[in-house]
Amino acid sequence: MNMRKGIVGIVAILMVVSLMVSCSGKTKSENSKVTVNFWHLDSNDLHYPEWEKIAAKFMETHPNVDIKITVLENEAYKSKLATVMQSGNPPDIFRSWGGGVMNSYAESGLLKDITNEYKNKWDSKIGEGAVGVYSYKGKIYGLPYTMGGVGIWYNKELLAKVGYNTPPETWNDFLDCVKKLKAAGITPIALGEGDKWPGHFWWVYLAVRLGGKEAFDKATIGNGSFNDEPFVKAGELLQELIALKPFQEGFLAATYGGDQAALMGNGKAAMELMGQWAPAVEIGSSADKKGIGDKLGFMSFPAVEGGKGKLTDLMGGGDGLVIGKNAPKEAVEFLKYITSVENEKFLTTGPLGIVPTAIGAETALTDPNLVAINKAVSQAAYFQLYYDQYLPPATGEVVKDATQGLFAGTMGPKEVAAAVAASYQAEKK
Amino acid sequence: MDGKVSAIVGNNGSPGKKVQAKSHDKALFYALLLPAFLLVTLFIIWPVVNTVFYSFYDWNGFGPLKNFVGLKNLRTLFRDPLFWNALRNNGIVILFSVCVQLPIAFLLALLVSKSSSRPTIFFRTVFFLPYILSEIITGVIWRFIYHPQFGLLQQIFAKFAPDYSYTGFLADPKTVFVSILFVIFWKYFGFHMILYVAGLQGIPPEYHEAALIDGANPVQAFIYVTLPFMKNAIQMSLFFCIIGSLQVFDVIWSMGQGGPVHAAETAVVYLYKFGIKSSKMGFGSMVAIVIFVICLLFNVLYQRVINREEK
Amino acid sequence: MTQIKTSRRRIPSLAEWTKFAILILFALVILVPIYLAVIGGFKTIGQLNADPVGFPKPFMAENYANIFLKSRFFAYFLNSSIIMVATVAVDVTVSAMAGFALSRFTVKTKNVIYQYFLLGLLFPMTLAILPLYIQLRAVGLLDTFIGVILPQTAFLLPFHIMIFRGFIKEIPTELEDAVKIDGCGKMGFFAHVVVPLSRPAIATVSVLAMVASWNNFFLPLIVLDDKDKFTLPMGSMDFVGQYLADWNVILAFFVVSMIPAIAFYLYAQRHIVSGLAAGAVKG
Repeated sequence: MNMRKGIVGIVAILMVVSLMVSCSGKTKSENSKVTVNFWHLDSNDLHYPEWEKIAAKFMETHPNVDIKITVLENEAYKSKLATVMQSGNPPDIFRSWGGGVMNSYAESGLLKDITNEYKNKWDSKIGEGAVGVYSYKGKIYGLPYTMGGVGIWYNKELLAKVGYNTPPETWNDFLDCVKKLKAAGITPIALGEGDKWPGHFWWVYLAVRLGGKEAFDKATIGNGSFNDEPFVKAGELLQELIALKPFQEGFLAATYGGDQAALMGNGKAAMELMGQWAPAVEIGSSADKKGIGDKLGFMSFPAVEGGKGKLTDLMGGGDGLVIGKNAPKEAVEFLKYITSVENEKFLTTGPLGIVPTAIGAETALTDPNLVAINKAVSQAAYFQLYYDQYLPPATGEVVKDATQGLFAGTMGPKEVAAAVAASYQAEKK
Repeated sequence: MDGKVSAIVGNNGSPGKKVQAKSHDKALFYALLLPAFLLVTLFIIWPVVNTVFYSFYDWNGFGPLKNFVGLKNLRTLFRDPLFWNALRNNGIVILFSVCVQLPIAFLLALLVSKSSSRPTIFFRTVFFLPYILSEIITGVIWRFIYHPQFGLLQQIFAKFAPDYSYTGFLADPKTVFVSILFVIFWKYFGFHMILYVAGLQGIPPEYHEAALIDGANPVQAFIYVTLPFMKNAIQMSLFFCIIGSLQVFDVIWSMGQGGPVHAAETAVVYLYKFGIKSSKMGFGSMVAIVIFVICLLFNVLYQRVINREEK
Repeated sequence: MTQIKTSRRRIPSLAEWTKFAILILFALVILVPIYLAVIGGFKTIGQLNADPVGFPKPFMAENYANIFLKSRFFAYFLNSSIIMVATVAVDVTVSAMAGFALSRFTVKTKNVIYQYFLLGLLFPMTLAILPLYIQLRAVGLLDTFIGVILPQTAFLLPFHIMIFRGFIKEIPTELEDAVKIDGCGKMGFFAHVVVPLSRPAIATVSVLAMVASWNNFFLPLIVLDDKDKFTLPMGSMDFVGQYLADWNVILAFFVVSMIPAIAFYLYAQRHIVSGLAAGAVKG
């Protein structure tokens, strides 16, 4: 009896051990190929094949390289990346939005400095403002392959219905347009505030228009703070808009993809404040998978009367790839390959529909809205990365929470500014 | 109990053999426990110990551990009104669960424990069903029902109360927590009901009949016969209910991440948001330890109470 | 406790009607949401938005068919199944052994060890995730199924040991004496008496382990890198991220994911009451 149990036990242990060995054996390759771990978050059925194609093309010309792709959807990606980074073991090349989050990786020595390679051995050239998003303390840690901006996407037909054949260009006009839309029974603005980040766009843009680069620099690296006037006034102006009740029912719990983009794509709302991916997501979320086609227009965020910011100031961001500290040089080669004019054109014309960064690739853009954005990016003297990516992660969370408080009516403009100021004070190093 | 038995049966009488058997038993005892002990120690206890370490650091989680700050995280935590908001919400979950969910589960148990007829089994099976569903699915289904534009509730209001403008229970800070409490109830009451059914089925029917013969009315029979037999089941149910309420996370997270504006935020949700998502692993670890200590205190209290009763 | 079935044809009393009404009400509360999810999967997105309650017309069996044919459903399903079977096997074996040890031996440290295991109940997996990850990396178990199976099992052990311990305690000592007379030691007793008698406890623990493993999202997410190894919940989230507003497809995917768990539960449910009864309640 004891013997039988003992044998069963030994067999079980053997099974477990062999499973362990076989599973770990899979990840260590016996041949001399160099493995490059590539992580991204374009999990959509239409999108991830694009990356596989690029990887395949690269591996054809670099037969000693094996690119292993890990792809997860947005939230899962952020969770897993956070855990992996926290364990000190970054992937070789992976998606990042730059800014404060990337800076904290760089600060902890988790990224590879590619300044030298980019400055001397790169095939393409990328706009300085865009590269700046992926630099920290003068060193470059990655590159964006798409950079765009946030602006107002509007349904031309719905706006024309209330007399706006051209979109409103000033904040006061904008409020007037909203009032007219509401009176006509049209949902003026689609907003997925359940996700919180779409809402914070409004606050940031108002601050950008009111205070410009000057105010932001003063608050972050100067002797000011987020309690300064432009940031408080941003909240006040936003409150004016909120008071008009321009959003769809239940917006406080609505999501971006499922609700905001769907409303726009189905022609049920007139405007949304969103980035360059808006057309693609609207199409994907619409019921007929076609979106509103050429009824969709794009305009810069309205000018605020008396604001010190310039109309060319742009808030937005892009997508880029950074290099992990342990990455082989082949990973940097792969990044060079992706950011070449040819491959950026490939990504532009494919289902990902990016707004490319490599100078020369923009000729592949066909959508007039995206052409406009590309132009805006190159003209922007002040390019502000979205706060929730630019600021340290904890402060980014506070900005999102506090602005949601504005939308919910539980926080006032001064409180919002104070919360952000306090958090930034505590986090900046 | 076993010692007494072997003393009576004797193990072939010879004392030497008894001692041998005893030490052989002891080795077997530890051998049987070894796998469980290893697993629990490696994957639960060891991470807990590490978490205690992390809590003394202001660490963003990346790279090596650095920035020792002693108890600063604790001070920051206690000063944060959102933390107390979260604890208060946990308290509400406990109160709701103990005062509403458990009694209803008990009532239903009374109704489905008496027979093994087909309808009874059907109801028992159905009631336990939500417990089987994953939290994500539960969140998706109920988000769909609560949806302001095309959810079930919106349709019901449109048909029966067209003047009421339904803006989505999950979107209004005033109603979101209650709406989620209902989902928590929906998901977990079956588990408690099954515990009570198990308890009720263990009551010998003679006692109940004897009481009725002695002239007790059904209510008295319930109080003096049924309830005492149910003590174990109720204790177990309370234990899991309270621990579960202190640790509730998945259902809340999948239905709006505790929002809007922290209206439905509980302790673990707070931890995830302000610790992990904000890249403040040290702070998050401190929150985790505080939650663990609260559960521990409760456990100690609970053990005291039931041990006292057993005397 | 055996119930003598009396089938008497008589008009049910008001009390019985009330009981029935209450039961039906609660059953509806549970079944209606699930029904909505199931039929939602058969609708077009337009119809779902317009009429969430009614019967689908047209009846889009394609949504469900597409899940099986187009998405990586089967791959996810297989992975989840492998992990689940292994988890159940390890969990039942380990907790049964431990429960047996804690209930049928007299060793002085017995109670302390039991309390040690109970500590595990007080710490949910979400909190342990980072140290766990670091640990798994240190022993090379990342991106392996074992790296999911073992920690998952560990977190299930406290409750399941409790169930086995309580259940096995109830086995009369006379039975143990009986096999002792035949010359069996403790392990013989275990193999020949305890295990066969523990079927309800085994069923209960199996169902609980199966459900926990099948629904576990967070741990596999953190441990597994290779898309080929992803589990069903991870696939679901991927699906949701992709089909953002296509609630009908999302619902279909989730409903299909639920089926194995529900099937197993229905198969084993009659044992759950007796398993929990002896194990958890009398314990």
